[in-house]
Amino acid sequence: MKKILQLTLGIITSVGGFLEIGSVVTAVQAGAAFGYQLLWAILLGTVCLIFLVEMSGRLSAVSKHTIVDAMRERFGFPFFSIVTLGIVIVAFMVLVAELGGIGLSLQILTGIGFPWWAIPISLVVWLLMWKGTFSLIENVGSLLGLVTISFVVAAVELNPDWSSAAHGLLPTASGDQKAKYGFIAVSILGASISPYLMYFYSSGAIEGEWDETYLAMNRIISGFGMSFGGLLSMAVLICAALALQPRGIDVDKFEQVALLMTTALPKWGFFLFAASMLFACLGAALEISLAISYFFAQGFGWNWSEDLSPSRDARFAFTYTIIILLAAVPLLFGVDPIKVTMMSMALTSATLPLAIVPFLFLMNDPIYLGKHRNGWISNSVVAIIILISFVLAVISIPLEIMGG
Amino acid sequence: MRTKRLLALSIVLIAACKSPTPDEQMDSIQSWLATAGLVGEAWLRHTTPDTYSRQTLELSHETLLQISSDLLKSPPLPLDSTTLDSVLTRSRGHIDQMARLIEARDVPDFARQLDSLRADQKTVHALADSLKPKQ
Repeated sequence: MKKILQLTLGIITSVGGFLEIGSVVTAVQAGAAFGYQLLWAILLGTVCLIFLVEMSGRLSAVSKHTIVDAMRERFGFPFFSIVTLGIVIVAFMVLVAELGGIGLSLQILTGIGFPWWAIPISLVVWLLMWKGTFSLIENVGSLLGLVTISFVVAAVELNPDWSSAAHGLLPTASGDQKAKYGFIAVSILGASISPYLMYFYSSGAIEGEWDETYLAMNRIISGFGMSFGGLLSMAVLICAALALQPRGIDVDKFEQVALLMTTALPKWGFFLFAASMLFACLGAALEISLAISYFFAQGFGWNWSEDLSPSRDARFAFTYTIIILLAAVPLLFGVDPIKVTMMSMALTSATLPLAIVPFLFLMNDPIYLGKHRNGWISNSVVAIIILISFVLAVISIPLEIMGG
Repeated sequence: MRTKRLLALSIVLIAACKSPTPDEQMDSIQSWLATAGLVGEAWLRHTTPDTYSRQTLELSHETLLQISSDLLKSPPLPLDSTTLDSVLTRSRGHIDQMARLIEARDVPDFARQLDSLRADQKTVHALADSLKPKQ
């Protein structure tokens, strides 16, 4: 009974916790600029994420190591430091974007500019981290995030042509905007395959004291949870394709994104959008702050657990305190969270090999996983998708920057 | 030596950064005109807060001013720039009026300004089409 409850909660939280500013903004830009044409990128990212999340849980349940623990132990500290540098810089940018997402949601609701919200938001996130437990952070943020299901309702309400949408699940030529098409595809992949989600999930499995009896549950949570999450991203893209593209609205600013559901759900669309973004970004900000702190604590061998009081894992608590404080600074100076989002998502794609390749080595190591190590299917799927997103990133990021 | 190379690379990259083409600028103008139109429709249905609607209209106005002055400053355009200038000035006027009318909560006048904005949107659309390469 306890496991069924955990399973249900696991799936619900995966759905509620899937969307964040990156997945919403990239999907809206894709739908507004290219209609259904980039649905394939969400599909590809979701498939890859299902495999990666399942692997993260399996590694922790079987080896009793988090990914970071095992990576440092297997590859040594010098290699681990290089990986840390790349991953933490990108994760920090994503945290800035998520805090900015909360600020922008409050801005459209109250009219008070997002820089004014930077400090209050950081304080709330920090307070939740300081006082909260792992299950509070995992469940409350994600349960509130279930409001994002309104994107599916809006997409259905707009009555899409399902056969055209199905065509979008296969990559097609991009016409005359190749750099933009590639850059948005890369950003969608970066938003879907977020390495911080793997670190958070694997640390959560250790916090939840998973063992090999949890393997089936892990498979179901990652499969169903991430699939439903991918469906939410697709719904966002469909809304943009039907509500914004026909009017010629090409999204540059959050104020334009906020109009996403006003056509489909005239009465509540605007407020549902604001609430969705507020809760989704809050959940993501908590998860990323925690993931960065896990990364440092596990990498340097400190005490760590969100369930311990800060006095018992002082360095862990100090890390998230500093990280959250620093992330508020760019917002305070008015740095546009949408620009940070797009750049951080593309950079996530570019740095994916750094996070995923060592992880794949771990997943094939019999010392850690014994008979539960990866088969050729999961190795091939993940390796191919990471390669595609890396190549796309290397080509399209310079093109997009040079194209202004 | 390394510094010089880095400097040279930076110069090449900066030189490579091109400003948007007139075609892209026209797309941007149309996008912001459509944004103002959609915000106007939503406000008329009472589905968006006054502050958001007013601020987004002001943002549309500012952005349009910026893009259109950049566009009209650039080398002679292969379209009727006098008509473009006048229609954009008029559109910005409608958007500015709409933002003010939200404060006054003057719905009938707001609806009239929105209709005029829609008419201008069509003119801009036709001008933008004339810029696109013929098939």
